[in-house]
Amino acid sequence: MKRTGFVYDEKYLLHDTGGYHPESPERLAVIHTRLAESGVLDKLTRIVAERANQRWIEAVHSIRYITRFDEACLYGLNEFEHADNAICRETFDVAFYAVGGVLKAIDAVMKGEVDNAFCAVRPPGHHAEMDKPMGFCYFNNVAIGARYLQKEHGIERVGIIDFDVHHGNGTQHIFDRDPTVMYYSIHEHPSFAYPGTGRDFESGIGEGEGYTINSPVLPGRGDEEYRRLIMQDMVPAFKKFQPEFILLSAGFDAHVSDLMSGTNLTTDGYDFISEVVMNLVNRFAGGRVVSVLEGGYNLEVLPLLVENHIKILADMK
Amino acid sequence: MFVSGRMSKDLITAGPDITIFEAKKIMTEKNIRHLPIIDAAGKLIGIVTDRDVRDAMPSTLLKKADYELTLAKIMNFPVSDIMTRNPLTIYAYYTIQDSLLVMQQKKVGALPVIDEEGYLKGILSTRDLINAFVNIMNIDEPGTLLCIVVKEQQGQMKKIVDIVTEEKISLGSVLVARFWDEEKRAIFPYLLTNNVINVKKKLLDMGFEIIDPMKWYLDQLPKK
Repeated sequence: MKRTGFVYDEKYLLHDTGGYHPESPERLAVIHTRLAESGVLDKLTRIVAERANQRWIEAVHSIRYITRFDEACLYGLNEFEHADNAICRETFDVAFYAVGGVLKAIDAVMKGEVDNAFCAVRPPGHHAEMDKPMGFCYFNNVAIGARYLQKEHGIERVGIIDFDVHHGNGTQHIFDRDPTVMYYSIHEHPSFAYPGTGRDFESGIGEGEGYTINSPVLPGRGDEEYRRLIMQDMVPAFKKFQPEFILLSAGFDAHVSDLMSGTNLTTDGYDFISEVVMNLVNRFAGGRVVSVLEGGYNLEVLPLLVENHIKILADMK
Repeated sequence: MFVSGRMSKDLITAGPDITIFEAKKIMTEKNIRHLPIIDAAGKLIGIVTDRDVRDAMPSTLLKKADYELTLAKIMNFPVSDIMTRNPLTIYAYYTIQDSLLVMQQKKVGALPVIDEEGYLKGILSTRDLINAFVNIMNIDEPGTLLCIVVKEQQGQMKKIVDIVTEEKISLGSVLVARFWDEEKRAIFPYLLTNNVINVKKKLLDMGFEIIDPMKWYLDQLPKK
C-alpha cells in the first residue's frame, strides 16, 4: 500500500452556492462521510490546508481578476460575472484555501511525506481562465499547482490529465503556448457539452504545439470509447513527454448516472482511468501525483467514485 | 437582424476603367473576393469576383514566355469587360435571414447593398453572414446543447422555454428539426450554462424525452 495524502477542510463547505446549485457543499460532505464510514479515511495521511500565498495565484491569474473576485464577494453579490458562478461572502477566502490545499499536497509529495495525494477541495478550478470565472470555477487550482511545481520545486515537465466530463478550457488556455506542461483532456464532445472547446484539432499554439491533447467523446458513448481514446491519445503522448510530476483534474461527472453530461462512463470505466493514470505516474513520474477534485454532481455516485479513485491511488484495491 | 448592422461598410471599390491588372492587385492586397464597380457618382454598375479575374488569366499550363505574352495582352483591358453588370443587389433593410435565402437561391458569394437611388452603401458576404449567425445563435459563448423530443402539438415550446426561464438560464438559441419522426419534433435548445442538471430533471418530470443527440444523428444517416 502507498501513503496517500488527503486534503479536506470544513472551510470548503463555507462556499455557499445558494441551496439549489449542483456544485454544493454536500458534494464534499458525502465524500467525507463515505470515506470515514468505509474506514478508508483512517488509512490516509491527513494534509492540513493553508491559505495560499497570493503570489502563487498571480502566477496564473491577473491581479485585476483577483481583485474583481474579492470585491464581488465583499459586496455580497450572489454571482460572479455569470449566473453559473454562484458566490457568497466567504467564497474568495475558501478559494484561497482550495489552492492552498493543493499546494500543501504538492509539498507533502515533494518532501516524501506521502507518495501521492487526493484533494477534496471546492470550488473546482479547470474552467477558470486567467481573467475570467467560468462553470463554477474561480481559481484554476491545478494550473496554479503546475506553476508552483515549476517555480517552487524546480520540476521542469508537468503533466496534467483532466478527466472531468467538461473540457478544461481554463487549463488549456493557460498552457497552450507552453511546451513544459502537457495538458490532456478527455471530455464530452464540444458540439454538445459545456464549454464548447476541446476539439481534437486544438493541439497547442506555437512552441506549445503538440503539448495540448484533446479527446472528445460523443454523448451516449462510455467505457469502450474512453478506453480506446486513452490508449490511443494519452498513453503514447505521456510516454514521449516523460512528465516528472502529474496533476489530475479529477471530475466524476462523466458517469452514466450523472445528469450533468451525456456520456455513459460506468464505475468500472472510472477504475480503468485511475489504473491507467497510475501506471503512467509510476512509470514516468516516480509515482508522484496529486489528484484534485473538479466536478461530479450525483451525490449517490460521487462518493463511491472518489473512494475507488483514492483506493487505486493508495494501492488498496 | 438587418443587413445594415452586418454588412461591411468599409468599402473597397473601383471605377469601370481600371485595368484587370489593377483590379487583381486591389483584390489580392485587400484580401477580398468581390470588388464592386461604381461610376463617378457612386452608383453601383457592376461587380468583379476573383473568379472573373481568374477566368480572364492565361492558363498556368502555358510556357512561361507564352504566359507572360498572353498576360501582357490581357492585363490592360478595362475591368468593365469582365465585370457582371447590374448584379443582384439587396437593400439595407433586408433581414439577414432573407439574405441567407437569396444567397442560397441565387448561388452568389456576396450581395452589394444599395439605397433606393442605386448608390452603393455596403456589401454583405458569406463571411459576414457566418459571423452574424454565430453571433445570433450565441454559439461562440460557452453553453450546453440539449436535445428534446416532443410531440407535434401546440404549446410544447412554451413549456420548454418556461422551464429554462424558471431556472434563470439564458437561452442562446433554439433549433427545431422538423422531420424527426412523423408525429414528433426534435428541439435543440442551446443553453448558456454549465448547469443543466435541474433543467433536465424538470423536463423529464414534465414528461419530455431528452435524447442523446447522437441517436438523432444516426437516424439521419442514409440507410444502406
